[in-house]
Amino acid sequence: MIPDAKGDTLGFKVEVHTTHNRGFTPEEIAERCADKIISVSDEAHPAIQAQAHAFKKRIVQLVGFYLREAVKSDRTTVYNALTDAGHPELAELIRRM
Amino acid sequence: MAFTGNYMCTSFKKELLFGVHDFDLANGDTFKIALYTSSATLDASTTAYSATNEVSGTGYTATGQALTNVDPTSSGTTALTDFEDETFTTATITARGALIYNTTPNTTSISVTNPSVVVLDFGADKTSTAGDFTIVFPTADATDAIIRIA
Repeated sequence: MIPDAKGDTLGFKVEVHTTHNRGFTPEEIAERCADKIISVSDEAHPAIQAQAHAFKKRIVQLVGFYLREAVKSDRTTVYNALTDAGHPELAELIRRM
Repeated sequence: MAFTGNYMCTSFKKELLFGVHDFDLANGDTFKIALYTSSATLDASTTAYSATNEVSGTGYTATGQALTNVDPTSSGTTALTDFEDETFTTATITARGALIYNTTPNTTSISVTNPSVVVLDFGADKTSTAGDFTIVFPTADATDAIIRIA
């Protein structure tokens, strides 16, 4: 929101997600994706909340599945690129991940 | 005291009236996000990007990274826009906050360089170690979107 002239702080919360010695898992990213797609108000009717949460859970499962598919497919691409570049051992390491 | 909250920069509000900023996804300006340490003093009075107290470390390049715009829209009587979440990959960095700024402003009516848009306060130092550092923007609605005109 354009705040008043006093420059009051804005009423939103920016989250920072970090990892250590790894990247995000497909499940972690799927959760973030679902948060963007569906937000459920605490003031919504309980039946609506339950339905929305169930839908959100399904979205997380579905997006997570396709993210894992994308990761596997990309590894195939990387495997072939490394093999073509003359690094079959490195390619094999990627394939086994 | 360094960061004291999230601010829409006062200069940005003025620049909106000069037509400096375009948030369109396809044809809009290029906005970047730069990360800062807890020593930085950024608030509503910040007018432009500065390298002072900017984060340094593996996976982070000075001036930060370009954001992906989201087409402005409206909800009720509030106009709003958003950015896609931004990830610094394979990064070993610690940041307390960030500045979003415009690297390609329209300077037809006013002279500006890398004008600031929004100051973000992470609330505490956030660290990634040989990992991903992701800024997750709030829900793009009339009450939470990162840039709103009500």
